[in-house]
Order: sequence, then structure tokens, then C-alpha cells
Amino acid sequence: MVKPTKGLLSIGTIAALGVLAACGTSSTPTSSSGGATGIAGCHGTITVATDLPLTGGDATDGPFPQLAAELAVNQAIAHKLLGGCTLKYVSKDDSTVLKNGHDPAQGAANITALASDATVMGVVGPFNSSVALAEIPVASTNHLAIISPANTNPCLTAVVPVCSDPTININTASLYPGAHTYFRVIASDVQQSEIDAYIAAKVVNATKVYLIDDQEAYGRGLALLFKKYYTTTEGGTIVGQASLPGATSTFATQISLAKSEGAQAIFFGGTTGNGCGLVRRDMGSAGFNVPVLGGDGCEDTKFISDANSGANTSEAEGSYATSAPDVTKLASSATFFSQYAAAYSTKAAPYNDGTKEPYTAYGYDAMNILLQAIHATLVANGGQPLSSPQAFRDAVVAQLRNTSYDGALGHTTFDANGDTTNTGFTLYKVTSGNWVGVNTYAVDTSGKVTVKS
Amino acid sequence: MSEYKGPPAADPGALGVGTSRGGSAMLVAQSGLAPRHGRAGGILGGLGPLVRLLQGWISTYFSLLLLGMMALAIGLTGVQHGVTLMGEQIKNALVLGAIYALVAIGYTMVYGIIELINFAHGDVFTASGFYAFGFASLFHLDSLATGSFGGLILALVIVFPLSMIAAGVTGALIEFVAYRRLRDAPRLAPLITAIGVSFLIEGIMLVVEGPDNVTTHMASWINGEAFSIAGVSVGYTDLFVIGMALVLMFALGAFVRRTRLGKAMRSTAQDRTAALLCGININRTISATFFIGSALAAAAAIIYSINYGVLKWNIGFHLGIIAFTAAVLGGIGNIVGAGVGGFLIGIIYVFGGSLFGGEWSEALIFAVLVLILTFRPVGLFGVEVTTRA
Amino acid sequence: MSENGQSVAAPDSAGGVDKVIDLREIDVYYGRVNALSKVTLEVRQGEIVALIGSNGAGKTTTLRTISGLISPRTGEVRLFGKTTRGMGAAQIARLGVGHAPEGRRLFPRMTVRENLDMGAYSRGDRAGIRTDLESVYTLFPRLRERDSQLAGSLSGGEQQMVAIGRALMSSPKVLLLDEPSLGLAPILVDAIFEVIREINAKGTTILLIEQNALLALKTAVRGYVLETGSVALSGPAEELIASPDIQRAYLGM
Repeated sequence: MVKPTKGLLSIGTIAALGVLAACGTSSTPTSSSGGATGIAGCHGTITVATDLPLTGGDATDGPFPQLAAELAVNQAIAHKLLGGCTLKYVSKDDSTVLKNGHDPAQGAANITALASDATVMGVVGPFNSSVALAEIPVASTNHLAIISPANTNPCLTAVVPVCSDPTININTASLYPGAHTYFRVIASDVQQSEIDAYIAAKVVNATKVYLIDDQEAYGRGLALLFKKYYTTTEGGTIVGQASLPGATSTFATQISLAKSEGAQAIFFGGTTGNGCGLVRRDMGSAGFNVPVLGGDGCEDTKFISDANSGANTSEAEGSYATSAPDVTKLASSATFFSQYAAAYSTKAAPYNDGTKEPYTAYGYDAMNILLQAIHATLVANGGQPLSSPQAFRDAVVAQLRNTSYDGALGHTTFDANGDTTNTGFTLYKVTSGNWVGVNTYAVDTSGKVTVKS
Repeated sequence: MSEYKGPPAADPGALGVGTSRGGSAMLVAQSGLAPRHGRAGGILGGLGPLVRLLQGWISTYFSLLLLGMMALAIGLTGVQHGVTLMGEQIKNALVLGAIYALVAIGYTMVYGIIELINFAHGDVFTASGFYAFGFASLFHLDSLATGSFGGLILALVIVFPLSMIAAGVTGALIEFVAYRRLRDAPRLAPLITAIGVSFLIEGIMLVVEGPDNVTTHMASWINGEAFSIAGVSVGYTDLFVIGMALVLMFALGAFVRRTRLGKAMRSTAQDRTAALLCGININRTISATFFIGSALAAAAAIIYSINYGVLKWNIGFHLGIIAFTAAVLGGIGNIVGAGVGGFLIGIIYVFGGSLFGGEWSEALIFAVLVLILTFRPVGLFGVEVTTRA
Repeated sequence: MSENGQSVAAPDSAGGVDKVIDLREIDVYYGRVNALSKVTLEVRQGEIVALIGSNGAGKTTTLRTISGLISPRTGEVRLFGKTTRGMGAAQIARLGVGHAPEGRRLFPRMTVRENLDMGAYSRGDRAGIRTDLESVYTLFPRLRERDSQLAGSLSGGEQQMVAIGRALMSSPKVLLLDEPSLGLAPILVDAIFEVIREINAKGTTILLIEQNALLALKTAVRGYVLETGSVALSGPAEELIASPDIQRAYLGM
């Protein structure tokens, strides 16, 4: 993932996304097991793992999806999801002291170690896109399924026009020397930028947009994708584009240009830490009053305080940003969060509350999807593990492709690239000093954006 | 006191490039005597003198070339996008340049006197911004400054001296603790120490002020449009930023030229041994230099805060490096040069970004730095090579 | 005249009151290099004393040690009857030591006038400074013409004048001159030495380093000969001039 760490996802009226089952049912899906398929007679050991950053600077991120995944495993053990087979769980930390947090080299070493254990059938992780770049080839070579709860970089799964941009520079094909064993349960930045482009054209009603990005993989990728969809799908015009480093203290030059070019909105690809709110502040100083639109990197309280730090202390009003729906507000996630709270009530704060981090539920669903696939593989093989570990892993990957799962996040299936089809981004608008949800949008594989709620 | 080494600007041999007509002519004349480089034979070898002639020519007219290119960039902006944008960008450039100039002066003063690139200077800038924020909160200056014009003046009269003194003490303390003992050590030692001090200050600010932008509320002190010409709206803040910077620079110039301490600083910078022989207390003079440089950084930080309204623990590092380039552009060690260099860097930053895209702003600044170091290492206002026989 | 150079002090100066400069067996090192060893030297009130010797003999080091630019490792430097141990160069300068150093060391980006003013940096008596400035201009009329020119742009001879003038501006009791004739045209050399005698005639004690040993000894009342960091010979100037060793080694006779 390349987004900034967020605390609680912000307030907003989020209608339930997805439809069907609460996760209570998904944690007891074994009702049909036993019986004819003979899964009760399964013998052997099957291991599942997580690889997430747990220490250093990432200690406030990784532990949440890790604990959620562990909860899913414990529930599966309690319900004998794999029948007579022993279900083991291993937790790996991809943080190092050297990097004070996630370290791609450590991630690759973890996957190598897990792959060498013939009983390991899948891994939930990693958290960061940079780590994914190092892990995906190892997993691919070893036929090992990995399911990320948090990677949003589009180039991990598919070649999109931005992947060759120097700031991103990812050769997607080279990530998969073997099988395509990578999946993710979170929508990628492609879908977000499609929705952003739609919003710029149809909600903001802008025909001319000025583009600024923060030179980082996430922000630049989002800006370039926005440019693509805004100009092609929506037929808008980009009147200017600037790519500025995160340390930029003033955007006055760009604002003057945007104003001179008659831009009707400014799209900022990047994070608040890299200047999203300061763009809005400088627009105030320049007397340039068109909306700012950003991605999930802008949708936080720092945006509002930064934008209001100039002479006009209500400058942030009317700014737009899209962000992942607040999963804590989903009806489908309620059971999960209460189970999490019950299971980890003895943990120190904030780890005793799963809603403190946006990716908790993603970790839970990712592990459940993996367990479901293993279960389905066992069932398909007459209730027994496949004798060849490699064939077993291949079969699990094949089952993952057919995933149709109703969990905390709603209904998840994967497309051919392993990306979730459970997309949805909420448009937020600053109203009376707060981000307030306006609508939630979804985009289908043909690029058609619809209002979900 | 160990052997003294002459200041760089007055060191004729060190820089290797003639900076006067005479110098370049000599380079050409000498080329016949210089050993031929094995690889530069044939046509390229024949081009040698021509290249040198060209280099000498560029060195001689470097200032004119640079100013010409800037004028071209400004004109081109006007032609392409109209006078309004040109005017707005000039305003943006001057506002940015004013802040760079004040920070650059601190670098140049310290470099001039002890030949140290004081990497911590940018962080003293940030720290003093936080001092000012602290004083403003302590004395409730926000409501005072926004209440009436008199209140604003009073708030400024309170916050400027207090922050400047606090910053000056910080700067002098850094010199006393970190650099004084290393004054006669190999050049690398104080340089690395300076980087260490920079990290230390940044670390302290990160812990105390947090990782995000901190709103100082000072942007609300001054607002409103002063006047508008050719569609360019000039705010009171813009006038304040540029005016305050100019006033401070002229005050510093007068101080250094006229006062006893100013003269002590200049003579210590030019020849420390001779200054000692004149009875000048070198330690006190160097402390004063750090004090004044840091105080100007504080003034810059307050101006920054009033203009931009936010501070962040690491802004000074980035801004400092650009300001340092401004000091080199003007001629490191030269106070007037640093002031002018700051404004020129502001112009390069803004018009470079305006013409070629914002991603080129900083690249252009550092390209200019490379060009200066190649063609005119003494900077625009550097002294012509002088010989002390 | 003493051949070993160690027992130079004349018996009549035992009280030391009129000793302006009194070096007692000083050892000076540059890092590990021994630059001066057991140098004993004295300059009495009103004298011109010449310090001669070949390059690298330690003449400049001796002057730098007196001014406090270098500290002796052992031995003692006494000025005006008091030890200078623990004093910095700036403090010593304020005692009344004017030093026109090797290489002139002007402030190249300051005007002639500013350079001269810097010489009077530690003085407070404005009237005295004005008088001394006048007398410097009288000694060196060229400097009055060059008053507002940058020192770095002056010719070698003019720079030497500024260096001596700056040292004089501190109204020194003793003046240390390091190679005042270096790089000057012969006619200027004579002029400079004429000025040196004039300065001395007005009561300033002078310790002089000079490449031109004959000229130096003719100007001085006494002389010291340094060889590889030690005093080889010392005595009244006319005796040194008459010495065959000196004639062979330094006077080219």
C-alpha cells in the first residue's frame, strides 16, 4: 500500500455496501462439510501464514490485519473448517530495525522461508506495495498464493499506462516468472482514478482541470491515471500538469498558471503530508476559487487544517476527495468488529479495537478467503490434501480464482488479474469544517461508474 | 591557533578558472604549453583552445548570460500567457526570493567567517519559526495582531525581537557546542558535525511538534489586497514579505559596513590571523556572526509563517539547501550576493516552474549551481581574483 | 658576542624592566616538527633588533610566537616584564605589540582606510587615532592617495605600506616586522627602511626579520642569527657585520 497511514476512517454517512450475509455465516461455512466429502477424515497438516509489518514505524498498521487474520484462523480451527486436518498458523514480520518498518528484502526472505515449508498453502500479505514488488516473484515461482489486504498500486497486477512512468517504473510482467498467485481484497488506484475522473466531469462539472502530483508512486500514479480517464472516458482537458516534491512549501506558481489557463478544478494526486491541503491554502491566497479534488491521500483532518492555515480560515470548504468506504460503518462488518473486540479485549489499546485502523477487516476477509479456497480444494480432492505440495498449492490458487465470498467487506470476487471486484469509493466534501460523505460510487470492469448509494 | 588558510574567494589558484579577461587570455596562451591529453587528439584536440576560449568567455559574461536568460524567461511567460500571469509570477518570485535571501545570508555569513557550510542553519530557521509561534501563543498575539493596525505593529514589535534573540542564542550555542572545538580540525569534521546538528534539531522538532504541518495562525495577521495592477492582485502580505526582507538586508548591510562589530566580522572573514593581530576577539566575533545569521533566519521564519501559515519539522532542510544555492550564486561569503542571489533563485524557481513545469524548478536551480561552479565559482558578486603577494 | 648563542643576555639587563621582549628558552612545534628549540632572545626598550637567518630557520615562527599566534611547548615568552602564558593573540596585540606579518595579510576586500582603522580596533582614543592616522599618511603619502581603494588591488609596495601602517595604528610599544622588503623594488626598499628608522626614532621598539642581512644589520643595533630553529649567533650589529662567518653565510662576501 502506498497510502498514508490513517487513523480512524473519517465520519460520514456510509450506507451499507454489498448486500448479503453478515460475516457470522462466513466464519461457520463448514455446515455442509463432514458428511459425504469425508473432510472429517482429512489427515495431515496445513499451514497458513501472514506477512505484515508489525514493528518499528509500522507498528500502528500491520498488527491490526495480522490480529484479524489470526482471528479468522482461530475461528476456522474452532469450527473444524479443515475437518480432521491440523490447521497451523505462522505470523511473519516484514519490518526490520534497519528500515524502522517494512523492508522489501525482509518480505522476500519471509516468503522464501514460508515457500520452503511444504505445508504452507497461502499467505495473507503484504501490507506495502514496495514489499509486494519483492514478494510477488518469489510467491509466483513457488506457486504460493498471497492475498494482500492493503496494496493499491495498480501495476502489481496489470499493466496500466502509468507503470512505465519513471516514478513508478514497474514491469508487471517480470513480477510473475511463474504462476499468477497474487490476489488483493482492496480496490486498486485504477478504480479510484476512474471514479475521480467521473466526479471531476460529472459532479464538479469541470471541463478543464489542472493536475498536480507529489512525485511519489501513489500520487503520481493516481494523477496519471486520472489524466487518462478524464481525457478519454470523460472527454475533459488537462490544462496543465506539475509534479512537485513532497517538501514543496508553496504552490503559488502552479496556482497562478492554473488560474491563467482557466482551470475549473485542480486535481491533486498525492497525500496531505505532501501538500494537498497547502494547494487549497495557496488558492485562497491567489483568490482562485475552484474546487480541489483529491484521492484518499487527501481525505483527512490534516487537509482541513492545512487548507485553513492561510489568511482565510475556512478555505477548505467545498473541497472534494474520494476514499475507500468506511468499512466500520458497513452492516456486513458489524459482527466481525464485535468478534474482534471480544477476542482481543485483553490487548493494549489501540490493538483491542479493530476499528482503529482501516485495514483490519481486509486482513480478516483475506484470511477467510484463503481458508475457504483451501477448504474447497480439500473437498474437491475427496477430503484429503493433494499428495504433491505443488499441485496442492496450484489447486488452492485455482480455487481462489473462483472465489465468491460474502464477508465483512461485502461480496468479493476476483477478476483475471487477481483484483477484487468489490470496488467502491465514497466521495467526501468538506462541509462546515468536516469531511462529509456525499455518495458512494462503483466502477465495473468496462469502466462504467455508477452511484452505489 | 594553527596555520591560517586564506579565504577561498581571495585564493587565486584554487578555483582554476580565470574570472577576468586577463585570466581567460592566459588560459588560452598557456594551452600550447600544457601536456596534451592522450585521448583528446585529432579534431577534438584542435578544439581544445576553442573550448577554453568559449569557457573563458562564458565565465566573463556569466552574470549577463544568466540575467539575460531570466529576462527571456520572464518575457516568454508574458508572451505565452499574458501580462497578468507574468506579473503574478514576478510577485510569486519576489515573495519566495525574499525568504530565500534572508536564509541565504545566514549561510554566507557563516561560510565567510569560518568556511563551514552550516547545514543546521535551515533547521534553525524552522526552530525559530516555532519559537515565534510559541511567543505568539504565550502573549496571545493572534488576537492582538488581528484586532487593529496598532495591535499588529505591537505584535510584530514583540515577536520579531524575541524570536530573533532566541534564534540568535540557539545559533551561537550551536557554534559553541558543536563547531568551536573543530575550528582547526580537517574540513570534513565540522561539516559532518553540522549535518549531525541538523538531524538533531530536526529530531527534536519532530518529537516536540509532530510529523505534520503545524498551523501557526500567523497568516491571519496580515491580509487583504493592497492594490491591483494589470490584473495582478498584490496583497499586504506580499508587500510585507518583500519590504521586511529588504529592510532587514539593508540594516544588516549598514551594520556590517559601519559598526565596529561589523568590521570585526568582515576582517575576521577576510584574514583571521590578521584580525587576531589587530586585537579582535575571534571567538566573540564568530559567535556574533552565528547570532546575527540565526536572527535573520528567525526573521525569515516569521515572515514565512505570516505568509504561509504553517510550519513543519523538516521544511528548513529543503529550504536551506535552496537558500544555500542562492548564497553560492551570489558568491559565498558575500552578503549582498546572498541577498540578490535569493531573489534570483526565486525567479529561477518560479519562472522555471512556470515555463517548464514545476518538476523542473529545483532541477533548474541545481543546474544553475553546477553552471556557477563550472564557469564562475566565485559567484555573481564574488571578488575578482586578488593576489596577496 | 657569544658564539653559542645561549648566554646572550647582557648582565646589565638582569632586572628585566626595560626588556620589551624576553624569550626564555622556547621550544615550538608544528605538530611533531620542532620549529624552534631553546630560543632565547631579548629586545630592549628603544632598540631595533634584527633577526636574520636562511629560509626555514624559524624567524617567522619566532615572531608568531611572540604575538601569540603559536604557543611554545616549553619556555616562556615575557612581554613588558610579564609572562604571556595563557594569553591569546588578540590579548597580546592589545598589550601594545604591532605585528606586520609575513605575506602582509591585509584585508583584501576592505579599503586602505578600513585596513588602517582595523589596526586601531582595540583603541578607544579617537583623537589619538586621528593623530596616528595622520602620521601614517605622513610616513606613506601614497596611502592617502589610495585611501578608498581596496587593499587587494594595491601593488606589493603599497600593500607593505598598509601592513606597516596598520601595525602602527595600534600605537604599539613594539613593532614586529616580517620581511618588509620582500618583493619590493630596490628604491622602495630604501624608502621603507628609512621609514623604519623614523618610526624607531619616535620611540617605538622594533624587531625586524629581513632577508637582506646587510641592510638589516645596518639598521639594527643588535642582531640574532637563527639556524634550523636555534640561535647560532647574537650580538651588536656592527660586530655581526664584521664576523667572517656572517659575511660568508649571509652577506655574500
